[in-house]
Order: sequence, then C-alpha cells, then structure tokens
Amino acid sequence: MTPNVRDVLQGVTVALATPPSADHGMAYTMSRVGMVTMLATLAAAESDRAARDAIAENAAIRALFAGAGAFDADGALAAAAKEVDADLSVPALDAANARLRRQLIGLHEKVEAADNAAMNRQIVALYGKMASIRRMALGGG
Amino acid sequence: MSGPLSEALATYLGRAWGEPVAIEDLARISGGASRETYRFDAVVAGERRPLIVRRDPPGSLIETDRRSEFLALKSFHGQGVAAPEPLILELEGAELERPFFVMARIDGGATASPFAPDPYAPHAARLGEDFFGTLGRIAKADPSSLPIAEVCEAPALDQCWKRELDYWSNVIETDEQHPQPIVRAAIRWLYSHPPPPAQKLSVVHGDYRSGNFLHDGEGRIIAVLDWEMAHLGDPLEDLGWALDPLWRHTEDGRVAGMVMRDEAFRIWEQASGLKVDPAGFVWWELFASVKGQAIWISSAKEYKDGGYREPILCFSGWYTARRQDEILAEHLARLAA
Repeated sequence: MTPNVRDVLQGVTVALATPPSADHGMAYTMSRVGMVTMLATLAAAESDRAARDAIAENAAIRALFAGAGAFDADGALAAAAKEVDADLSVPALDAANARLRRQLIGLHEKVEAADNAAMNRQIVALYGKMASIRRMALGGG
Repeated sequence: MSGPLSEALATYLGRAWGEPVAIEDLARISGGASRETYRFDAVVAGERRPLIVRRDPPGSLIETDRRSEFLALKSFHGQGVAAPEPLILELEGAELERPFFVMARIDGGATASPFAPDPYAPHAARLGEDFFGTLGRIAKADPSSLPIAEVCEAPALDQCWKRELDYWSNVIETDEQHPQPIVRAAIRWLYSHPPPPAQKLSVVHGDYRSGNFLHDGEGRIIAVLDWEMAHLGDPLEDLGWALDPLWRHTEDGRVAGMVMRDEAFRIWEQASGLKVDPAGFVWWELFASVKGQAIWISSAKEYKDGGYREPILCFSGWYTARRQDEILAEHLARLAA
C-alpha cells in the first residue's frame, strides 16, 4: 500500500528535522506539529496491523478467485487462489497484494463484459470488505 | 521577526503601488496544499490593508491554474457571492520566485475542520440556506459574461461529464502507485453510464464543500474560498462534490453538516432555477468520489516524489484515500444491488 509506514515515518522525520520558517508564524507551526503527531500515531497503529490486514485482504481476494472458474480460461486465477503468503514481511505481502489487485481488476472487467450480475455483486461485496479491512481510525486504533 | 517572504512582499508591493510598503503580522495559514497561503497587513502611506497572498507551492495536491482562480474570484466578487476581492496577479513570480496572487482578507470568520463532529450547530440550518443558496447562485450565473470565460474552455453540454472524467481518470492512471480496483471499477461504471447533458453551462467552483468557506458563527457565509479548481461545466458537479460523505461531519443524515439532502436540493434548485435530475445526480455523486480519490492518489505520489515535504499530502494520500475507498465501495454496492 502507498504510502506505507516506512514512507510515513520518513516524512515525519523530514518534517521534524526541518526548522520552521520565520514566515510561518506560531499557529501554522503548531498545526503542522499536530499533523505530524497524528501521522506518527496512525503509523504506530498501522505498524501493528499492516501484516494482518494485507494477509486478510489477500485471503479474501484469493477466496473470490477460487470461485471464478468461468472467467479463468488460462487458470491464472485458480493458481493465484492456491498461493499462500509464505513471506510475512510487509513489503512481500504488499507485493503479493499488488499482483492480486491487478488480477482482480482484470477479472472485474471480464465480468462486466459478460454482464454477469451475480459475480459483479460478489466482486463489489469484496470491495466493501477490502475497504473495511483497510479502514483507519483517527485515534490510531 | 521578519522572514524572507515579508521582505520579498514589501519589495514587490512597493514596486507595484509606487510607494514604500511595510509588511506586518505575516503568518502562514494551515489548510489546502494546492497553494501556500499567508495572511499579512500591508502598511502603505499610513493605511493598513488586510491581505492574503496565495503562492504556488513547490509541490501540491493538484496542478491548478492560479489565473483561473484569480478570474473566478473576479467573476463573483460583489455579485451576490461572498468571494474575496482579488487584487494582484503575478504569473512570473518576481520577488516571490513562484507565481502568486494577492487578495483582500476577510477577518472575523471561522472554518470547519473535516473532523469536527458538528461544526455548525446551532446555526447549521441557516448556514445550509446560505451554503446551498450560494452554490445555486454560482450555478445560475452565465459564464460567458464573466471574466473566468477568458481562460476556461467552454465544453459542449453533453461533453461536460466526459472532459472531467477523462481528466481525473488520467490523473489516477498517471499517479497510481498501488493497484486501485475500487476506483477503477467506479471509473468504468461512469464511462458506461453517461449522465444526461448539462442543463446549462455554469462556473464550477471545483472544491465547494464544508470547510472551504468562512462563516460568521451565526449562520452566514462571509467568504467562499479555494477557487483553484474553478472551471466551466455541469453545475451538478459542484453539488455532487458538496454532498460527498467525506464532508458529512455527522451521522444523522445531514449533508455537509448542515441540512438534510432533500432540503439541500430544494435550496439549490430555488437559487439556481435548475433541477436536480436523480439519474444525473447519481453519476455526479460517484464522480465526486472518483475525483476525490484521484486527488488523494496524486497527493501520495507527490509526497514521495516531492521529498516528503508536506505532512498534509501524506495524510490525504493515506487516511483520506482509505476513507474515500469506503465511500466508493458503498456507492458501487448501491449501484450493483
């Protein structure tokens, strides 16, 4: 996912290392510090859950692929459905997620072209689940 | 303490006005990342002028044209819309190094944070009248008679939707760093279900929403801000954006934290003389979320590629993008039902 925790923390570091400009004034500087604090809090929560969320989303996409036989002439979706996330590092999980999402986009295009309402509803339900898995709480929970 | 911007402004305005200028109380204003915004007083010949300067940033959420923003303000200032008076447009940057414009400052107002739970109570209903009434008056205006027509292309009525969708889907295509199946599904739906032609061509503010205006705390808007995405198009575009759940504030069904949806439509229709066509509006509501996601995706890219300068870009490209995905998924679920 982009940005990932590494990106966020890199930005937090840059922000904290950058001296405020004399033109900014106290209110802006404090507001910026507040935003950096919020990002750090969200990053702390994300570091706890990033792997779990990626695994859950990847599993949900693979489960859909397992039932997509009619749209899987070359067997690529069935093969993806059998994959497991062996490397549990966040970069590896994100890379697998990117592959699965690209396949999901292709599958949905085929389903739309075939005007298959039932499968379309399944995919749209999956979108709701994916968005829910990735939901962030402002308090960092 | 005087910084380099104060000195540059004093030099520039002194040259522009032909007399010495002192800059006092300059301070940056938090908020939008598409322009650096500063408030200041210019003291010239003993007179104190409260002003705002909006300067192009090194990187921003969106590529916007400061000339169209300036001319949008010029189009509506003093025309029944609380648009601040634009004063000076400098396209070359001069002493400030990047393009900027100066406008009059309106003091004494408040803005609402997108995260405030009920920012307008107890004046929400009255403010809703002003908010959707103002938007209706913007929609009603004939753009061909306004300064903004000098710089904004006028699309055909049946092409307003396509021009906007082409633009924002291209932003996603260009800036996406991780595959985004939800917004891509929404884009395909929009292309395959075009809305009816626009009822008329209007000035579209482009970012008309809760939080982008100053209010007096008693239910009256005193300044409509952030016109940087102004263009000509279908007036329903602004209405769809204003109603996006991202700016909802409350869970009680009110839109923009002010009034119920039907009431918003009634106020807008009365002020604009136009109708909210339900079929067309579904399209513009979904489009609003696509446009939002394009902006957040773009901000995530700018954050990384621009050297992690602005924390707001990170927040938009991260938290806000995920919230927008939820909204998009809810739209798609309704359409698929």
